[in-house]
Amino acid sequence: MPLFHSVAEKDVTRAIVSSFLRQFEQYADSDVIIVGAGPSGLVAGKELAARRLKVLIVERNNYLGGGFWIGGYLMNKVTLRAPAETMLDELGVPYEEAVEGLYVADGPHACSKLIAAACDAGVKFANMTIFDDIVLREGNRVAGVVVNWTPIAALPREITCVDPVALEAKVVIDATGHDACVVRRLEERGLTRTVGFGAMWVEMSEDLVVEHTGEVHPGLVVAGMAVSTTYGLPRMGPTFGAMLLSGKRAAEVVMGILEGITVA
Amino acid sequence: MFIYLYDEAATPTLDLGGITNYIKDKLPSSQIEVRENFITFHLARLERRGREEKMSHLAEELARAKVRKLGAPLNDLFVPLKGEIGYERRRLENQNKRVAGILYDGFVLSGILQGLLPPEECALNQVHIVFTNQLFGTWDEHDRRYHARVSIYNKPSLISTTGIVEAPAKPREYYLLKQQYTALGMYDAAEVGLKGNFRGRFIDYNDERMTRVMKGYVLQALMHQLTGEPFCTDKSCRLYNAHWQEEVIRSQVENPYDLCPAHERMLEALLS
Ligand SMILES: [Zn+2]
Repeated sequence: MPLFHSVAEKDVTRAIVSSFLRQFEQYADSDVIIVGAGPSGLVAGKELAARRLKVLIVERNNYLGGGFWIGGYLMNKVTLRAPAETMLDELGVPYEEAVEGLYVADGPHACSKLIAAACDAGVKFANMTIFDDIVLREGNRVAGVVVNWTPIAALPREITCVDPVALEAKVVIDATGHDACVVRRLEERGLTRTVGFGAMWVEMSEDLVVEHTGEVHPGLVVAGMAVSTTYGLPRMGPTFGAMLLSGKRAAEVVMGILEGITVA
Repeated sequence: MFIYLYDEAATPTLDLGGITNYIKDKLPSSQIEVRENFITFHLARLERRGREEKMSHLAEELARAKVRKLGAPLNDLFVPLKGEIGYERRRLENQNKRVAGILYDGFVLSGILQGLLPPEECALNQVHIVFTNQLFGTWDEHDRRYHARVSIYNKPSLISTTGIVEAPAKPREYYLLKQQYTALGMYDAAEVGLKGNFRGRFIDYNDERMTRVMKGYVLQALMHQLTGEPFCTDKSCRLYNAHWQEEVIRSQVENPYDLCPAHERMLEALLS
């Protein structure tokens, strides 16, 4: 007697397609779309979904978590400075104190728990999906993103005449890391500017990333390393603690914006 | 001489009482008033509506005073981003927090603060010395880049408790090790770990030697006011313009004498 239940191939196909389509259709109109599933995007998503918002994270890679898996130099330990260890407590990730105020955790453990926490909170993901453009509404308010399958971007031009699709949201978060893809698209349209990388005092920049996390343009919030690019903050310094706390701050900012929208 | 000292609350090891006593000792005829944070103090003197307007204006001015590239002088035409002005605005409301990482143009910053001084406190015999944790620098035409500074002697004079840590160069080995850490991508470890290795060899945040060190910088500000020349070439004199942490420690902490004989005589002559 076979171990597994017998199913028809067509049923497998239908299960995948119908489940995907149901979700895709539902999330074509989300409360919040986050571009980038690195640590800041995941934290923001988890926090917002926990408040019962419909959150979709768009990620160009197959995997989620960005650089959070491996830390620096492919050594899969991640370091965080106080008070960011409270985030590890929240996620249930074990860590040890390296020196006073500096904590070290296993990258895979921290990253997988963060992804799981985002999923548990109700975040949905569109991975292998690349951000292509922004959707603007009246008053140039950001109201969504235009996306395509990631492989499309890798194909030769003549066979990639595949039009992207638009996804709408009340608020978009740019959590695309130092590329700041969403902010840059706005910049190309002359709607905002990025300052680029600064060359300042690296060791103190972590606070700055958190403190500058916020709405850069109506409907667009910037989080994580994208904050560095937008405001020209030091590039090397921001580390995982800043990414996690920036995600948390971004979620608070989004909540504030959404409250404003419902009142208006 | 009327001397106003403005406190910097984020550095608990900075004791303005100790500095006041030191000035009294050097310049017995001076009158010294210790005040809270410069911006908070002068904003509080304005009426509510005037204060609101001033704060919005200040936030924008401060955002404009931010150095964006170490290798380029400030550009007057640069319009700061909304988020940058918002950051400065939040900072204005909470001056007792340490500012992290942003470098401002020191002379522009001093000019902005000058705008807060009431006309009756701008006489020649009135000196304002502002302690701040803001990091500022000055543009150097020779190598065409900004350099972080401990102090700016102007009206008001600014002395930075962050600058004393960041501006004078640390021992060379410090930078070598730091480079190795950052090459490994261990930014956090570099910051926290390195400081332990070099403890005592540079002035750190909340350093117990802060008050002692700052006495010399206040003296420089006063010499600038009295004679136009704040600095001395004697490496053991409080007025030595130190570029290395080791020099700061030598001139301000391990100094065999307070002022060099020449400056001691100069001060005596000024007082008589
Ligand atoms: Zn001297």
